[in-house]
Amino acid sequence: MTSEPDAPLFADRPEWEDVVPLPQYENVDPLAPIFYTDEYKDATNYFRGIVKTGEMSPRVLELTENIIRQNPAHYSAWQYRYKTLMALKAPLDVELRLMDELAVRYLKTYQVWHHRRLLVTETREPGPELEFITKSLQEDMKNYHTWSYRQWLLAYFNDDALWSDELNFADQMLESDIRNNSAWHHRFFVVFQSGVRTGDENREEVVRRELAFVKNYISLAPNNASAWNYLRGILDHSATPYSQLLLFVTPYSVPRSPDADLVDVIDLENPPPSMGAQLPCVAAIEFLADIHENEGGDDIMKATELWRSLADEHDTIRKKSREYRIRDALQKVQV
Amino acid sequence: MPTTNSESDLEPLAELPRLATTGHATHCKMCLAGLPAGQVDIDSSRLALVFYCLGSLDLLDIINNKTNNDERQMWVSWVWEQQTSGPYGSGFKPGPYMTPEKHLGVPDNDYSNDNSPHIIVTYTALLCLAILRDDFTRLDRSGLIKFLRSCQKDDGSFSTEPLGGDSDLRTVYCAFAISSMLDDWSGVNVDRAFGFIASCRSYEGGYGQSPFCEAQGGTTYCALASMHLANRSFLLIEHLSASERRNTIRWLIQNQDGSGGFCGRTGKDADACYCFWCGASLSILGVGELVNTSALARFVASCQFKFGGIAKAPGEHPDPFHTYLALAALSLHPPQQDVSAPSSWILQALDPLLNTKQDTAAWARQHIPAPGN
Ligand SMILES: [Zn+2]
Repeated sequence: MTSEPDAPLFADRPEWEDVVPLPQYENVDPLAPIFYTDEYKDATNYFRGIVKTGEMSPRVLELTENIIRQNPAHYSAWQYRYKTLMALKAPLDVELRLMDELAVRYLKTYQVWHHRRLLVTETREPGPELEFITKSLQEDMKNYHTWSYRQWLLAYFNDDALWSDELNFADQMLESDIRNNSAWHHRFFVVFQSGVRTGDENREEVVRRELAFVKNYISLAPNNASAWNYLRGILDHSATPYSQLLLFVTPYSVPRSPDADLVDVIDLENPPPSMGAQLPCVAAIEFLADIHENEGGDDIMKATELWRSLADEHDTIRKKSREYRIRDALQKVQV
Repeated sequence: MPTTNSESDLEPLAELPRLATTGHATHCKMCLAGLPAGQVDIDSSRLALVFYCLGSLDLLDIINNKTNNDERQMWVSWVWEQQTSGPYGSGFKPGPYMTPEKHLGVPDNDYSNDNSPHIIVTYTALLCLAILRDDFTRLDRSGLIKFLRSCQKDDGSFSTEPLGGDSDLRTVYCAFAISSMLDDWSGVNVDRAFGFIASCRSYEGGYGQSPFCEAQGGTTYCALASMHLANRSFLLIEHLSASERRNTIRWLIQNQDGSGGFCGRTGKDADACYCFWCGASLSILGVGELVNTSALARFVASCQFKFGGIAKAPGEHPDPFHTYLALAALSLHPPQQDVSAPSSWILQALDPLLNTKQDTAAWARQHIPAPGN
């Protein structure tokens, strides 16, 4: 069924003789015309012919696959293929195996993933899909379509068996790349946006667990914006004041002290920056400034000093936005 | 995020090269003249590509000076040829790729479900016609309202076509932009669409493409522009709380990285198109002045292709999409005028909500609503 590169044109195949090929109309003065290959012209001529008569037969599957392989963004071919599969009551597991190949080949095409959603909505068998997604993420660990397909699948079918190993999966993805923001986002989705799973009924305990988790990752690699965003996400979500993190954040916001590595009592709740980490860390200074701003009063001046140090020294590209925060905070004090 | 970015702002800037406006215009005109077979994936979004080409020429202010009237009339009639109507209303299709030839040189325009209008393409078609200063007498306005209505789904989002296709924040934005240009919102259920937008918000402060998805620059633009387009018509109150707004600004600002460009997601590489999506989002939120404009210009300079056009990143091949969006970003956030920035960097002013030149947006708002409306 796979079309070979040197497969004969549909025009030369006796089994297509009964179809009237319909060439594409093109204005005499077209805008952005595409100089199609003969193979593409040939296949789409037959496709327009098929659409005109409304034929839905097995050979339509061959034709649409041929077109999709030449142009995976051809959404009419995808749509007509789907309608034909339904009309023929074709075995959808066979179609999904073909899609396994096409999805990896055309990872960045919307249509590949949309078609897959339609199929799985029909088969109602999301289980094997998780495994497929895990495999295809190995090709591109940050592919947006792949991740959103996974999030859709979990939310749409929403059964406990499907969710059972999801936190583990997010863990594994983070272990292979602690800066993969898609994996951090997925963890947030699993922990906070998917309802309450068995064992997670104590929400305060869940927040404590997540705080410990993200602190540990920050200590391993302090200059990781994804982890800091996750930390802020947990605090905002659970309405926990940022000031509760003061003890943890402070060592990250200053240059490394020469005797830092001599500390022999390690506070397990507040893991220190790993050795060799580049300090001070921009995200920590920013976080500390937010704590001070929130405290108000005399603390506002501490916040403005921190923003000043970011603007002038540690994060100069965002100078204007730090100066904006300084103006904003001082204005509030005056009022 | 690097700990220090001391190379920007502190020392006197190295001089910016010229913005190669002629080269970028040539790139767009060449794409309008024809595309190689290797770009066959444009087939089902050709009109959108035409918009990026015409939009670039518009921002460079050469639509009316450097193209002739015959040429413009040809373009106008090609765009109108894509208007199509049927039982689900009317709009524009991406091109003739599903239209057979009836006889030589005559299209077979029998409506078929496989050649239906497309919501994103329809938005770009209206802007193309406004760029070309068409009077819109040929626009089927009631058909367009019907089309929007048949695309909206129960969750408030819109499908790309009445009979299916994907639906996400991009299509919500297009439905809102079309309604705003028509000055007629009867085709959309605004409350329901707002519910969908809110469900796409992520803890990072940006918006994902669909509910539960990772925050992304392009869809964050779609969410913010949609809300503000509706506010513009209905004088609604702000839909973001003070802390949400602050989070969103923080995330957008964080996306400008050491290269000077913006990335679309936390930790990804900068890309010319996100200079617009994130930069315009900041403009919409009223804090466009927070963009580091000299760093932005240096990034765009590094994305210029030596034979014209702007690529998504240095060393990549250019395309009209990234060319247009990089120019649109510069139009909103030009580098400060001084000795180090040649005047070629100052472009025509842009409307950040409709994503087109300001006087083109004014033309659209004047001519697209039903007469006497
Ligand atoms: Zn891009």
